[in-house]
Amino acid sequence: MGSRNGKILFALVGVCLLVGAGYVVAAALGPDETTTEARPQVDGAVLAHAHLMVRAVDPANPRLNGRVYEIDGGKARRRSGDLACERVYFAGGRGICMGVAPSGVDYRAQIFDSQLRPVHEFALTGFPSRARVSSDGRYGATTVFVSGDSYLQAPSAFSTRTVIVDLRSGERVGQLEQFDVTKDGKPFDAVDFNFWGVTFVPGDSSRYYATLGTGGSHYLVEGDIAARSMRVLRDGVECPSLSPDGEQIVFKSRVAGSERWRLRVLDVETLADHAVAETRSVDDQVEWLDNETLVYSYEDDLYTVPADGSGEPQLLVRDASSPVRLDRGI
Amino acid sequence: MYQVEASKALLKPRLWARQSSRLRVPRNVIMLGAVSLLTDISSEMVATVLPMYLVFSLGASPLAFGAIDGTYRGAAALVQVLSGFTSDRWRRHKEVAGLGYGLSALGKVALVAAGNTIGGVGAIVAVDRVGKGIRTAPRDALISLSSAKDRLATSFGVHRAMDSVGAMLGPLIAFGILLLAPARFDAVFVVSTLFAVLGLAVLFLNVEGKPRRAPREGAPPRFSAALALLKDRSFAPLLLAAAGLSIASVSDALIYVGLQRTIDFEPAVFPLLYVMTAVSFMALAIPVGQLADRVGKVPVLLAGHALLFVVYGVLLMTSVGYLALAVCLVALGGYFASTEGVLTALAGALLPEKLQASGIGILITVVSLGRLVSSLAFGALWFAIGLQSAVLVFVAALGLAMAVAAPLLFRAQRIAPNG
Repeated sequence: MGSRNGKILFALVGVCLLVGAGYVVAAALGPDETTTEARPQVDGAVLAHAHLMVRAVDPANPRLNGRVYEIDGGKARRRSGDLACERVYFAGGRGICMGVAPSGVDYRAQIFDSQLRPVHEFALTGFPSRARVSSDGRYGATTVFVSGDSYLQAPSAFSTRTVIVDLRSGERVGQLEQFDVTKDGKPFDAVDFNFWGVTFVPGDSSRYYATLGTGGSHYLVEGDIAARSMRVLRDGVECPSLSPDGEQIVFKSRVAGSERWRLRVLDVETLADHAVAETRSVDDQVEWLDNETLVYSYEDDLYTVPADGSGEPQLLVRDASSPVRLDRGI
Repeated sequence: MYQVEASKALLKPRLWARQSSRLRVPRNVIMLGAVSLLTDISSEMVATVLPMYLVFSLGASPLAFGAIDGTYRGAAALVQVLSGFTSDRWRRHKEVAGLGYGLSALGKVALVAAGNTIGGVGAIVAVDRVGKGIRTAPRDALISLSSAKDRLATSFGVHRAMDSVGAMLGPLIAFGILLLAPARFDAVFVVSTLFAVLGLAVLFLNVEGKPRRAPREGAPPRFSAALALLKDRSFAPLLLAAAGLSIASVSDALIYVGLQRTIDFEPAVFPLLYVMTAVSFMALAIPVGQLADRVGKVPVLLAGHALLFVVYGVLLMTSVGYLALAVCLVALGGYFASTEGVLTALAGALLPEKLQASGIGILITVVSLGRLVSSLAFGALWFAIGLQSAVLVFVAALGLAMAVAAPLLFRAQRIAPNG
């Protein structure tokens, strides 16, 4: 021991302080890389009638991601002002933008109006994953991934939180984890319940569909916000998304035991489903361009494919994600 | 800057001396506490930003992070027993612990140098977990061997409190750096590496590898002697009691999930659950350790588990207010403060000097297996009969485990010399 070791340690602390503080200061004073601007590249030859809101992605610099663009008549137009979103949705005059909070280390959701002005804001407890708004703009749903919560310590265990928000008041209506669930008419509950991917029933904003993950199953559930309840419809459905007429649901179908998916479309009446022509693994909550056409992001480009299983996937917009159909403009 | 305060406060010899005399804690224990504090700052800095780093800088899906985080935890159990025995056999607790701390420090360096692929980050996290598995048993053996038998619980209390201070400071420092230099994860990794290096330096420069109770003569223990601990007259009952108690204790993560189902609190409150439990733990670890040295480790250990009844009671309430929530979290912190460290102190008192690390390694493994069984059982019960009934089953199980453990623990303490 002795004073020699003390001196070495003292010197080491000094060196570490200098190096650490120096590095942080250099990083803080480093070039601000937010000078260029990401811009989605629209392939105008495809579906010139597509009218979308999208989130711009800059493949060269992830820090610039998240500006909101409107795609109309084959052109991209910047719409966002200050909004920077990891996930965005808009309907009925209200939108949700899930992104990083100004602190840079937390997440928040902003509720915005048709001028894309933020009107309410609430904290998110994890990574933005999915956002949806009911067709009348009354309710919104956000799903986040929560880490540090893998309580059973199982490989690939993850946790989600899905919250329903009243978009007029900005108040939280509830968290799906706290709603009652029934399966085959009986109460259904387990510690590993996770909900994600809410889609609202067009014209009836209190009703929704979502995914319930538990014990290796991924159930399609049908829920009622007013009754705070859900019932299990069938297995093998993730990230459901209802067509504008409410008759079909496009969803992710997991390739058994993997983190890969295929897109399939089911009939709400019969719950029977069929594949679509996209054969790559798509991890997105798919959007409907109209009652016949799907739009989704794959590796930060947007593609379309017919919902009936015919045709081929076609590139629609480069460098964009989180597609939102705009019915009557914004 | 937290960095400055933490390092200076801990590295000023005068402050050590004053603390040591007031608490009568051996200098070596404070040094080992400083090593853990610095190492925990380093690991928690990385753990805090790793998910964000993976998603925003590497473009990974959050699912990939879940996979990275969960995959390697199982490997630690076997490593603990082997590293414990090896350090007893070679009588090199400090060096074996140093290997564990060194691996984690290397992981941080690798993160700075090569952490730009998802696979690379996965490998680095794996190395970090193995390092943690290696260092725990020899480190706890060193704490035990540095302390008089009647001061063991205080020593472990001081060490655990310092350890948790590090775990609290780490995220704050990481957030501070990212506020100053947004998205510069490399700066977080560099500072984390420096803290890991400092921890390693304190270990090698200031921790005595052969403390007062360390065995200096006699043949090195054989593996059969370590295995014989499983049927040792005083240690076997301790293992049995520890296994039973850990199976009947619901893990904190599950308690948080249960609370969240019961109470409709704001999402922003959720991180506060961890913070409040940690603050309660930090505040109570040292006084509870002192109490255990005064009135006996076994009564404190049992009383600590009895605090879980308070937690279970709150989980059983149909509507929980913020007051009940606070009571629950303080009780949970108290439970942690009076169980893990006190149990290790009890083991340290019972185990022969030459088999300290082996025995502690076995004990940690038994407790973590018990926790795994507990989590699986609680999850299965929740699914089968619902949350409330599952908690009721665990209330009964804890009562039973305590009734069985109490005579076993008192017997273990009576048989052991100077227990």
